[in-house]
Amino acid sequence: MSTLAAARPAPRPPVPWGRWGIRGVAFTYLAVLLIIPLMVILRDGLREGGGELIRQVTLPIAWHALKLSLWTAGVMTIINAIMGLLTAYVLVRYRFPGHGLLNAIVDLPLAIPTLVTGVMLVVLYGPQQALGSWLRDEWGIRVIFAPPGIILALLFITFPFVVRSVQPVLLALDQTQEDAAATLGATGLTIFRRIILPPLILPLISGALLSFARAIGEFGSIVIVAGNIPFYSQTAAVYVLGEVESENRLGASAVSIVMVAIAFSLILLVDWLQRRINN
Amino acid sequence: MSIILENLSKRYEGHPVVNQVSLEIADGEFFVLLGSSGSGKTTVLSIIAGLVSTEQGRVILHGRDVTYLPTQQRNVGYVFQHYALFQHMTVADNIEFGLRVRKMPAAARQQRRDELLELVGLTGLGSRMPRQISGGQQQRVALARALAHRPDVLLLDEPLGALDAKIRTELRRTLKTIQRELGITTILVTHDQEEAFELADRLGVMSFGRLLEVGPPDQLYRRPQSEFVATFLGTANLLVGEAAYNGIQVGPRHFDLDSQALPVEEGQRVQVLIRPEDVALAVAADQLDCPPLGQGIVEHTVFSGSFERSRLRLPALPGVRPIAPPPAYGDDAILIEVTRTQDQVSRLPIQPEQKVWVGVRRLHALAHPGLRFLMPTDGSPLAEAALAYGGHLARMAHARVTLLAYGMDAAAGQKHLQACKEKLGGGLVALDLRQTEKPLAAGLAEEVERQPVDLVFLGFAPHAPQFRLAEAILPLGEHHLLLVPPGAAAPSQVLVCVASGEPGKEDIRFTARLVRHVGAEAAVLAVISSPQTNETTRQRVDRFLSQGVKTLELLGVPAETVIRTGPVSQEIQQQIAAAPYDLLVFGSPLPDKSGEISLDGVISQVLTAVPHLPTLIVRSAGPERADTVGTLYAVQEVF
Repeated sequence: MSTLAAARPAPRPPVPWGRWGIRGVAFTYLAVLLIIPLMVILRDGLREGGGELIRQVTLPIAWHALKLSLWTAGVMTIINAIMGLLTAYVLVRYRFPGHGLLNAIVDLPLAIPTLVTGVMLVVLYGPQQALGSWLRDEWGIRVIFAPPGIILALLFITFPFVVRSVQPVLLALDQTQEDAAATLGATGLTIFRRIILPPLILPLISGALLSFARAIGEFGSIVIVAGNIPFYSQTAAVYVLGEVESENRLGASAVSIVMVAIAFSLILLVDWLQRRINN
Repeated sequence: MSIILENLSKRYEGHPVVNQVSLEIADGEFFVLLGSSGSGKTTVLSIIAGLVSTEQGRVILHGRDVTYLPTQQRNVGYVFQHYALFQHMTVADNIEFGLRVRKMPAAARQQRRDELLELVGLTGLGSRMPRQISGGQQQRVALARALAHRPDVLLLDEPLGALDAKIRTELRRTLKTIQRELGITTILVTHDQEEAFELADRLGVMSFGRLLEVGPPDQLYRRPQSEFVATFLGTANLLVGEAAYNGIQVGPRHFDLDSQALPVEEGQRVQVLIRPEDVALAVAADQLDCPPLGQGIVEHTVFSGSFERSRLRLPALPGVRPIAPPPAYGDDAILIEVTRTQDQVSRLPIQPEQKVWVGVRRLHALAHPGLRFLMPTDGSPLAEAALAYGGHLARMAHARVTLLAYGMDAAAGQKHLQACKEKLGGGLVALDLRQTEKPLAAGLAEEVERQPVDLVFLGFAPHAPQFRLAEAILPLGEHHLLLVPPGAAAPSQVLVCVASGEPGKEDIRFTARLVRHVGAEAAVLAVISSPQTNETTRQRVDRFLSQGVKTLELLGVPAETVIRTGPVSQEIQQQIAAAPYDLLVFGSPLPDKSGEISLDGVISQVLTAVPHLPTLIVRSAGPERADTVGTLYAVQEVF
């Protein structure tokens, strides 16, 4: 039998044109839409050499804008992680009137134009408004045209990220593990810390990083809320716009490259985390 | 006593899942709670552990009332059916969890963990993650974890349920050995009889939230006190016979029995339990080494390893009603299950269709529960009429009666109940006087939860609120409902309408059980609504009806069949006009998705048209549903 099989060559499998075709289309699309623009901006930023790029980025005004973007996003991420976890927990573990509505509202920030977000915050916290003037007069807190406004805007637009990455994992948790811990003498706090939280850590970090990455580049709401005051409330994205408008393309590209680099490394990290969660 | 449960009750969505369960478990005892799924056994365990609260009653562990203590302070060990291991911790961390919570020093903790790993035979696997070990090993870890903090009691919720047969047997032995070694009081919940028999020092059988019987496994198996336990544990041949002088009469046959083993007085009906292994077979009656029951025909035999199981058909015996195995519909044969050892088989091999003599080596008598009636009364003329009607039927059918006074205050209720008692007079097997201050449906729900009944009598006039009341009462328990209009006389001619959309065998069986004692006759009516029905369907309906007639006659009710063609409710009314019927029987409509029953349609049309006729609405029995579906479908096609 084996000699026979060897004697007759196996029929050649047909060339899978269809499969190659589909891949080709997808890759081309990706290249045209994502990779080529990224390459172009990289080339543009490095056109005068790496030294010039660093110089552009470390200009005090650019450097301050980048730092502002990073620290406001950082503060937002911490608040978002805590409150997002809490919201997800409430949505998964409790049933109350309006549960379905609340669950739907979580995604609303994804759909609302960010400019509108900015307008809403100005209307609510603006210095001429009741809440805004009360905060300023009674507590000395300026919200609009100041970093707190930026953080508020970022909190609003990134609200869904943590909730939606924690929720499915929390939903899939086996609650008898919590019962088991209770029979072993663990109190509610211990059960949360040792049983519920550990499996949520990775999705929590992943959601938090996503919201951080999203926040770094936020423009629409901030341009309205922050007032664009250099060395005070001008974020990196708004700075880039200013550089483009004043025809300093190099400065714009350089800061853009830094933002892209941060976002890209965060996305890689999130991707790695997601794969660990799925395992 | 390690564990004392007093009167535990729990309901979900209004249905009682645990219903007044009381139990005492001795130190070091291995107690098994056995029941089918949904019987409430796991809920009992959760109540003991404090994972579920009880609505009433108390839980006492080692003399400590823990009813209102949180789970954490009850010091129980709990093993869950699906292990519930902490997936993100190693085996060792899982086992040490309870010790860490108690802040035990690391050295002592590790020593205890190693002891436990050795105890459950998992030494060396401490550093594995739960998903890296097999199901059987995971359950051993769960057991070790539950034992680590030296709990007062060990609670096991179907711990072996998710494992395959071989590992289950092995783990069962491990479990028993460990329990003996530690001497820890243990409750195990299972639906697996073999497991229950093998592990239990004592056994409790649960059904629909009630703890029916408690005792050592052999006692419950050989001498059960209730029909449910007799048929639930192992295989049972269960017949209704009669208590006689020094024994039991099963038709013409007399079997000796210690008089002290008789649950009732001479002349009363008893249920006779014959276990399959206590049935003897022989070619001739004189070759039996025990009293004969009769000659039967082998229906089939099945080889099952160490045993051979077979089923035999015996001709009907006068006055003997088989309960289990359930007799075929419209068939009067008595079916007998036999289990023989291979040794016995080799001495007398049997073949299907062969004739053999059947003898009984050992039997057990249980009190026959008989029927139980509930009659609500508020003193109204309608209620009074129902009371008189029901009281008469109860006397004739030897039924136990509960009177439920409602719609009046406590003093008036007592007075009214006493008056009713006098009016009913003597001759009742048992009379229970109860009172509720709630509206009828709510009070009745409570009452049938305390003590299920077979039949509720409701004074009835065909008005909308009365229909709604009937609809509310029907789904409250497992009972049927008899609507009694004023001035009704005891039934003598019964019309069983299987044409109302739900023709079940239960209609006919229950009707027969009820009216056989009053010497009534019956007609079984089917209405074929579509004029185009072909001959085959007509024959099928006819066959179904004749089986019903046969069943009625077997139970002592002479009967005939009637088939009519035309609009259903109109045809029923015409049939009613054709003969002096005095009791109508309908099958209850099926409940809708939310469990509610509507009488709108044929039943309400007929009742409105003939308001003077008492009407029995029979619910289909749950477990019998499966075997009626075939016929049900066959007849429903017609309408």
